[in-house]
Amino acid sequence: MGKRFPFLWLAGVLVLAVLPWSAFAGAPTEQLKQTTDKVISILTDPDLKGPSNAEKRRALIRKIADERFDWNEMSRRALGHHWKKLNEEEKKTFVKLFSQLLDRTYMEKVEDYSGEKATYTGETIDENYAIVEMKVLTSKNVEIPVVNKLKKKGEDWMIYDVAVEGVSFVNNYRTQFNSLLSKSSVSELLAKLREKVSEK
Amino acid sequence: MRKLDIEFTVGLFLIAGIICLGYLSIKLGRMEVLGGEGYEVHALFSNSGGLKKGSSVTIAGVEVGRVNGVFLEDYHAKVVMNVSEGIKIQEDAIASIKTRGLIGEKFVEVTPGGAEETVPPGGRIRETQSPIDFEQLISKYVFGKVE
Repeated sequence: MGKRFPFLWLAGVLVLAVLPWSAFAGAPTEQLKQTTDKVISILTDPDLKGPSNAEKRRALIRKIADERFDWNEMSRRALGHHWKKLNEEEKKTFVKLFSQLLDRTYMEKVEDYSGEKATYTGETIDENYAIVEMKVLTSKNVEIPVVNKLKKKGEDWMIYDVAVEGVSFVNNYRTQFNSLLSKSSVSELLAKLREKVSEK
Repeated sequence: MRKLDIEFTVGLFLIAGIICLGYLSIKLGRMEVLGGEGYEVHALFSNSGGLKKGSSVTIAGVEVGRVNGVFLEDYHAKVVMNVSEGIKIQEDAIASIKTRGLIGEKFVEVTPGGAEETVPPGGRIRETQSPIDFEQLISKYVFGKVE
């Protein structure tokens, strides 16, 4: 009996050590936090610093982003009602180009990371949808509210929209694609995206 | 007999006049007597920005409905809208509160989505965008720099 006690105690300590993560922050916040922490650990890794490692670093970040961002859902939402006009082939091309475009546009900003702190301020879950609110404190001491919108896919919560200072990312692209597609065709839009992606 | 005829006609005109007046006030005041046509949907905003009952709901700038009421629900603004019959709002449509011109009235603009599912009558438009508070935004970048 006496011999069993330390095991019980150890088990108790382990449970207590694991508990706070699952008990106080919901699954969406926790998963999002894991992703941000992973990206930050890459950005602060001294072995991956410098321009010579840029390619490797970007590939790693891209891989982590792929696990948390639902590019398909994002693309569909960004195209809005035009999405239905695309055939399967065009949809695939669009998703690929759109994610590459975001990669190009935001990777530099991500790489500019200089110790900004993110605090998670709230979480609301409504069936398969979740909203995770966070505040990013910049080096200039300005707090920027960021709202992440996630959708549940199996066990994973995937981001489909991000709103910074109340401005939705999907809505921004939807308005742009909408005005583009009212003037030009789908193939022209794809060509334009391709050009943007390949531009140096 | 003759006196009665005159009184009767005057009465008829008066009733006709009241009906016309009623009709006019309903039309001009944009009130609906029997709930009106169309169906109701609602959306939650973190800030209604002064949106009022009767404000228009538009898609691509075309009026497709009106705001039925703005209420406070769990410290969020719940905007109830009446949308015309036959207008389908996709499940991933975004409702944003906008201002006509620089200082114009507020209205709700719905940007249609690409989903197959649509918002059912009484349902909720999940994606919303509240008006941007310029004052807050400017003050943040003016006073934010505490160095």
